[in-house]
Amino acid sequence: MTEISLNNVSKSFGAVNVIDEISLDVHSGEFIVFLGPSGSGKSTLLRMIAGLESIDDGTLTIGGQRCEHLSPGQRNVAMVFQNYALYPHMSVRENMEFGLKNIHIPNDEIDRRVQKAARILEMDTLLDRRPSELSGGQRQRVAIGRAIVKEPAAFLFDEPLSNLDAALRVRTRVELAELHQRMKSTMIYVTHDQTEAMTLADRIVVLNDCKIQQIGSPMEVYLRPATRFVAGFVGSPAMNFIKGELSGSGANQVVVLGDGSKVAISIGLASGRYELGIRPEAVTVSKQPADAVASAAVVEHLGDRTLIYAKLKDGTAITAQDGGQSRVIPGDEIHLAFDTTQIHLFDDGGNGYHAANNST
Amino acid sequence: MKSQTAKTLNLAGAAITVLTVLIAVLWAFPIYWGIVSSIKFEDEVVRPYVELWPENPTVQHYWFALTETEIGSWYINSIVTALGVTVLTVSTSLFAGYAISQLRFPGRTMLYWLILASFMVPTQTLIISHFVLIANMGLLNTWAGIILPQLIHPVIIIVYKQFFDQVPKDFREAAAMDNASEFRILFKIYIPMNWGVTTALSIVTFIWAWNAFLWPFLAVTSTNMMTITVGITQVNDAFGVYYARQLASAVLAGFPVAVAYLLFQRKVTQAITLSAGIKG
Repeated sequence: MTEISLNNVSKSFGAVNVIDEISLDVHSGEFIVFLGPSGSGKSTLLRMIAGLESIDDGTLTIGGQRCEHLSPGQRNVAMVFQNYALYPHMSVRENMEFGLKNIHIPNDEIDRRVQKAARILEMDTLLDRRPSELSGGQRQRVAIGRAIVKEPAAFLFDEPLSNLDAALRVRTRVELAELHQRMKSTMIYVTHDQTEAMTLADRIVVLNDCKIQQIGSPMEVYLRPATRFVAGFVGSPAMNFIKGELSGSGANQVVVLGDGSKVAISIGLASGRYELGIRPEAVTVSKQPADAVASAAVVEHLGDRTLIYAKLKDGTAITAQDGGQSRVIPGDEIHLAFDTTQIHLFDDGGNGYHAANNST
Repeated sequence: MKSQTAKTLNLAGAAITVLTVLIAVLWAFPIYWGIVSSIKFEDEVVRPYVELWPENPTVQHYWFALTETEIGSWYINSIVTALGVTVLTVSTSLFAGYAISQLRFPGRTMLYWLILASFMVPTQTLIISHFVLIANMGLLNTWAGIILPQLIHPVIIIVYKQFFDQVPKDFREAAAMDNASEFRILFKIYIPMNWGVTTALSIVTFIWAWNAFLWPFLAVTSTNMMTITVGITQVNDAFGVYYARQLASAVLAGFPVAVAYLLFQRKVTQAITLSAGIKG
């Protein structure tokens, strides 16, 4: 069932367009992540759903009800802010009760909901403390608790983990995933952190330049990026992009790279100039001559694997992966083998095409 | 070398301390002189030389002020009008400050400039029109007549606006998500987050209103409706000026404000700094 539906929504601030005719259906119980770089419009889109930004054009439906003219409080959604926005002069309990008192929920019901949320988030002992007496992680939980007590149709998270340190961020991420599994609520989550997107999302919505670039499951976005932008933005280290010329037909197609290397590919595209995209883990160091030759510039030992930043003969930068015990040192000439099932080609418009046997 | 530097610093510190004490004495002397004179007999007060301590201290002038004048009524009038001015000024200013800071409505900027511009109009220039207006309304010699023209304090609106501007917008948005009305946002979020400034502004407004002289002097002619600042001008009689008696009344008039100041010293200083910052 569709819980939230955006239909051709647009938004501009003065002459600057920030959201351009976006349409999206969020299903009930789904965890959707808006992923994109700064300025991509992801937070604006979330705030438009919340009602904190007006919608210039298009329609928004939440739980079957048209919402673009409703105030934030009437949309039956709850938001967790990046800086938590806990009222500093109220205790944790009062923070959680505030929204319920505003809509005149009976006191015993308020009490029941607060206790329940406190139990879910394991913060029963924090209820009488002020936000200033809590750690970052505890404040985060209170912010989530304040959303839970409203029993909303959907939860909206605006980069909620960005203020936490690395270790706490990982832990809170897992807690959020568990919370979603337990509550089975619809959640929309904004982040620029692809790890959060990959680990939390049922579906990722990649945004850039005011538009949706791709909607898909994390693996779909990773393995079959719809555009060059998605391919470059998702994945760390980033995908390699090498300019090349596609020739041949059917199963006998070849991409000739700038340095003259030839990579066989089965993709079913017309011949012409393309940009070849391949992730570092699909470029491995080979003992025998393989698809390309490169000169190692920087070698990063990560324990379980080694990343080699190298340059092809024509100077194109390429990142390859080797085993944890790699003996490659900077300055070495290395043979690189491409996993041709993991190759993508991008045309001039940035549209992505994937090798025939690439699948999710 | 090092000890010499320390010595120079110590000397400079001592010089500054002495200077500060001298200035403090200079400032405090009129108050001391007023209090001392109020416990002297009249003939001692008018002696042509300085006597730092009375020959025969007396409380007769205080006794006179407390028993022979209407000081009780004046206190009540002062308390009622000063409290009225404080409550009304602070509450209207905080609504105005909130509206200008947080609400978006046509003419908002214009309104703000008007409030800023009203600084340039000294109260004294308005006093005649105030008098005519209050007289036409039949409010001379009433508490309302004393209070109404004193409710205009643009500085308080501006201080509130600046404090409300500084509240992070996340709180307002969180409250909007929490379905809070503008009144709830103001009373449950913005005011509690700025209690300090409300307290400070209330105290300073109370002191302004208590010390007000010119308007209450014009607005009231009957002795029993006078505020204490106006009342102390009435302790003389047809036979001349009684300095000691007048000073004793002045000490009594200033006493509640002095106590209030001592109790809330820090807040008063804060409020004066806030409003001085704006005026400057």
